[in-house]
Amino acid sequence: MAVEAARGGALSIRHAGKVYDPDGANVVAIDDVSFDTRPGEFCVVVGPSGCGKTTLLNTIAGFDELTVGEIFLDDELLTTPGKRLMPGADRMVVFQNGALFPWKTVLWNVTCGPIQQGKMNRGEAQVQARELLSRVGLRGIENQYPGELSGGMKRRVEIVRALMNDPKVLLLDEPFRALDALTKSVVQEYLLELYDASPKTVFFITHDVEEAVFLADKIVIMTTRPGRVLKIVDVDIDRPRDYHVLTSGHFLKLENDVRAAIHGEARKAFEAGERELA
Amino acid sequence: MTIAPSATGVASAQARSRRVRRWLASHWNLNLLLGAISIGTLFLLWEFARPLGIPAISNLPPPTEVIQTSASLLTSQLYWEGWALSLRRITSGFLLAQIVGIPLGLMMAMHRASFDTIFPIVEILRPIPPVAWIPVSIVFWPTRELSVIFIVFLGAFWIVLLNTIGGASNIDPNYKRAALSLGSTPGDLFWRIIFPATVPSIVTGMAVGMGIAWEMVVAAEMVAGRTGLGYLLWQSFEINAIAQCIVCMISIGIAGYLSSEIIRLFGSFVAPWQRQR
Repeated sequence: MAVEAARGGALSIRHAGKVYDPDGANVVAIDDVSFDTRPGEFCVVVGPSGCGKTTLLNTIAGFDELTVGEIFLDDELLTTPGKRLMPGADRMVVFQNGALFPWKTVLWNVTCGPIQQGKMNRGEAQVQARELLSRVGLRGIENQYPGELSGGMKRRVEIVRALMNDPKVLLLDEPFRALDALTKSVVQEYLLELYDASPKTVFFITHDVEEAVFLADKIVIMTTRPGRVLKIVDVDIDRPRDYHVLTSGHFLKLENDVRAAIHGEARKAFEAGERELA
Repeated sequence: MTIAPSATGVASAQARSRRVRRWLASHWNLNLLLGAISIGTLFLLWEFARPLGIPAISNLPPPTEVIQTSASLLTSQLYWEGWALSLRRITSGFLLAQIVGIPLGLMMAMHRASFDTIFPIVEILRPIPPVAWIPVSIVFWPTRELSVIFIVFLGAFWIVLLNTIGGASNIDPNYKRAALSLGSTPGDLFWRIIFPATVPSIVTGMAVGMGIAWEMVVAAEMVAGRTGLGYLLWQSFEINAIAQCIVCMISIGIAGYLSSEIIRLFGSFVAPWQRQR
């Protein structure tokens, strides 16, 4: 794993802040967020709704820019106030509601990145796509349209589409939120399999504490709005992991720690929401 | 097959009713049967309305007479010319509406300023029913033919324009984001994302627009035309050939149905990903 780390993917978030200004009412989405990820580290960000997790992801991806601070990827400045690096294949995103192009087949969706960027020709891209798809249990669906697939299949296809671009960092925004518990655990295992085969820096957002501990090397717990870093928990569970670790004492202890830290924040977020509605 | 009353009687009765239902499903289509009965009844009532003394329907010629008339009409050149001319007007007006409406709608959806400029005019003109344009259109256009085509155009235009604007402005922004991350240039976005994402709405607009186009061609031909199925329909009425009127009505119905089938086929050809929905 550590050998591959040389290919980069160190993400460094320094005093990042983002203020939205709808109608002059300053909404602070994130405030003074700082943390680093090692190249190839699986970093999971958890926090209550509205804590700015997605804002942070959008600024890394190049969809949005910070109003304070800066974010670096291997010493390349991604964003700082008034400046951002446009979205690119080095920072691939898997979206919360999915963004496979419904008008194109699975094979086209998965191969379009490397072909458009001139990294591979069509033939090479198709060989690799078939290889990756069959590794996540999706052999023979290449010519189907995304609309014909189940939720769990779509998520796997979208992860494959992202990985085809060999990104330095893979950004996932609550990708398994809409899946049922059984499908979710299967797709998580496929994600870990892909990760173990070629570890890349992963920036994974979720609400699900069990999911966070199962997947992560490091969990960043964020406070409710304005989003700050509350606590960073290192998950020292050996890889490769499978569902058996879910019941180990160490796993449960870590899960409990994270849950305890996040519970207070969830409560605050809930009460703030109640106040806003009142 | 007989069933002895026993402890398993209920279960086997259920099994039998399941079998009967399955048999019915595979051998008899109940919906089809009911449909055939209702259509058959309608025709019988119509045919025997005069002897039975049913009011209103008795004023119409019975279906047998309509069929006789259709035989002579279907062999006349006038009738087929009517088809050809109406179809030509539909095609011209409808295609013109697509050629103007689709690019205009895409432009309005993508450029705020063009939307703000054009949309007020659209909102003033759109509520006017296309039929109300007929007199002005006759004055405005040099030939009757052009004014009929213009009315057809108006019928299909508003709906395709609004559908294109609606479709193109409701695209999930994450498609654009994903495309940019995957290496699309901002220029690629139009052909790879915006246009294909709008195609289903455009096809829906076409299907609705085609229906309105047929209404418009009939109305316009009745008032302003000297040929066509709508004109033939009105002329038949003027000479009190009601059976002929009915043949024209049915013909227009068939033409409308065929046109929407063509749109449907076109839709599944240009938006194949929607087929299974």
